[in-house]
Amino acid sequence: MNRRKFLGLGLAAAAVLPTAINAVDFRKTKPDTWTAHKVEDGIKGLFGDIKAEASDKIKLKTPKVASNGGAIPINIKTDIDAKTVAVFQDVNPESTVAVFSVPEGGIVDYGMKIKMKGSGKITIIVEDRAGKFHSKVNELEVALGGCEG
Amino acid sequence: MGNMKIKVKSKSGVAKAKVMAKHIMLPYEAAKKKGVDANFITLLTGKVGDKVVFEISPSQFVSKNPLFKFQFKTEGMKAGDKLEMSWTDLSGKTVTEDKKIKGL
Repeated sequence: MNRRKFLGLGLAAAAVLPTAINAVDFRKTKPDTWTAHKVEDGIKGLFGDIKAEASDKIKLKTPKVASNGGAIPINIKTDIDAKTVAVFQDVNPESTVAVFSVPEGGIVDYGMKIKMKGSGKITIIVEDRAGKFHSKVNELEVALGGCEG
Repeated sequence: MGNMKIKVKSKSGVAKAKVMAKHIMLPYEAAKKKGVDANFITLLTGKVGDKVVFEISPSQFVSKNPLFKFQFKTEGMKAGDKLEMSWTDLSGKTVTEDKKIKGL
């Protein structure tokens, strides 16, 4: 199990403290983000009360219309010196889809497939190493909803 | 061996990786309908030696048999180095597999 201390994320309840936690602890230290229904609550559960600035620097590639809601390909790319990249959507029972911990000097160019119950918005929040938050939202249509693949 | 398909190739200092893990990624709602426990990968990490090059906490909303694409810098890595991928799921199961990085 990875015990590397890379990240500086605070605990959900307290203010943001730069203690290093690795990704698996997100499930234990930030339980609220995984049960949050609304995107804002998912973001709050993970990062606390933050203000993310919409950013052109985040390239979020999503299909305009996804034919299969059980496997929607998305690609996230950015040059921002990112520490954490979080993916949310607003149509599933819970809003948080995945959280990437970016290693020091890492490259943010991620591809993966996600499930969405129906048409909606995907929100990406990038936390950079200076502690600033950037966001990007894409809207897409889903032809066949798929929360259960 | 044989749960994950790992493809990783390095060129001009950057390695591109494609990793597919065989996993049902069953969400809570679907599991309830089937009368079984939900189960999905909760953590996937990629390491080369001691260095973590990829780390994601997925949820039940990542697709079945998830395929992840990512990249990392190969500075300091040498021929023969392997990308070691390790995942843990909700049930506590852990699978670790590795593959030599091509092109180093």
